[in-house]
Amino acid sequence: MNKTILLVDDDPFQLKLYERLLQNNGYVCRVALSVDAAEEILKKFEIPDLIISDYEMPDRNGFEFRKRLLKNELLKNVPFLFLTSVNDDHFIQQGLDLKAIDYMAKDIPPSRILSKINNLMNAVKEHYERSLSEVKSIAEKLNLRNIPLKAPQLKNFEISYFNQTYQSQPGGDFIDFIKVDERYTFVILGDVMGKKWGAWFFSFSYLSYIRSAIRLCVFDGNTSLSTILNKLNRVIFADELLSDIFSTVSILLLDDENATLCYCGAGDLPVLKFDNKQNSLVTYQSDGILLGFSEHVDYTEMEISLHGDEEVYMISDGMIDFQVNDEKKSDMKLFKEKLYDLKVRKEPTASIVKNLFDKHTSQVDDCSIIIVKRK
Amino acid sequence: MNLSKEKVNGILVVTIEEKEANLSKSDRFKELIVEEINVGERKIIVSFKNVEYLDSSFLGALVGVLKILLPLNGKLVITELNADIENLFELTRLNKIFVIKNDLQTAMLDF
Repeated sequence: MNKTILLVDDDPFQLKLYERLLQNNGYVCRVALSVDAAEEILKKFEIPDLIISDYEMPDRNGFEFRKRLLKNELLKNVPFLFLTSVNDDHFIQQGLDLKAIDYMAKDIPPSRILSKINNLMNAVKEHYERSLSEVKSIAEKLNLRNIPLKAPQLKNFEISYFNQTYQSQPGGDFIDFIKVDERYTFVILGDVMGKKWGAWFFSFSYLSYIRSAIRLCVFDGNTSLSTILNKLNRVIFADELLSDIFSTVSILLLDDENATLCYCGAGDLPVLKFDNKQNSLVTYQSDGILLGFSEHVDYTEMEISLHGDEEVYMISDGMIDFQVNDEKKSDMKLFKEKLYDLKVRKEPTASIVKNLFDKHTSQVDDCSIIIVKRK
Repeated sequence: MNLSKEKVNGILVVTIEEKEANLSKSDRFKELIVEEINVGERKIIVSFKNVEYLDSSFLGALVGVLKILLPLNGKLVITELNADIENLFELTRLNKIFVIKNDLQTAMLDF
């Protein structure tokens, strides 16, 4: 993806010159003739990857601009460069003291300015990738996983699951399997609203609450999914740390003794079943709303009858997001059509997963699917 | 985050001037609406007429705004959703949480 640079300079000629230089080298540029105009752009558009500003401008100068950015939580860490003809040592020092990465003189040849910018962008990228891999390795060492390593083996059911992260970063999707005894296994698929690290972090809070709610209810001899979700929702609603973090969840309860299956969900996408006899996809839509939004919510559980070789599918919202001709859309119907085609072609489970995660379908979010098959 | 704001008959009408309402805009969106709530706005309409795709981060921000507004006896109506987005709201029961109206005029009548 092309990096975006915001250029701020009161000289339209200079602005055009640098804009062209950067655009010709693959950058997306936004330009502003004043600090006020730059701040308008920052309010309206996505946060740029780099800001380059002149020092001397009417109204607010570059230092004032930088000081204002440093006070803004969202913008203070955006790499910042001064590009100016004011090159007195005193000014250079002042500029660098404002945590600018560099203070460049306008008399430097454009090719060198470009090299500096390229090097900076590469350094930022490498630094980011290094930090990412460090966090990933720490998470692994601490056994912090929101996607388990394997599914439990059951007599009457076979569980397959797949999760794909978005842009190689963990996301808000979480999966868990809780085999409480030889009879009952809970299958959980959740999606914390949001993407990347923020959502990933909070998925652990949700996972802990879900595990506790299930265990506590089971200890009391209660395996009702409605009760579990109701209690879970109340606890999450009461947790101030999660007050503006919401999650969907789908829970299946597999009774391996009687080979039955029960489903309940909160704000989740419908669970689908392929009916082998009717050769059709059946949709099971739960009635519960997102966890944590409201204190008292009813969650209705429903039985799903599953005959030999039949499968149910739990999906996160990333599975129904598609990018077609550069336009993104959420399309459950399209997902169902794809799944239906695979099923009528009698594709095996592994092939269904592979096809649904086909690299040719541009992914726009992390996505997960759990397939439970009746043996 | 490109938004346009207009006050009509005491109701703040916010139009999202973006094709894609996603993670990179969700925090800013929430911040801007919360600023309006903090200065006393209680009747808010958010129009999605220009939005083609809405991701879960943005939905989370929208739910967050509503959760702040409701205890203040405020009201948030969302309007002009495209068919895919409206379908997503129905599939995930967000239509139980939000008041959704087809057009701005009907949304205004809801206050």
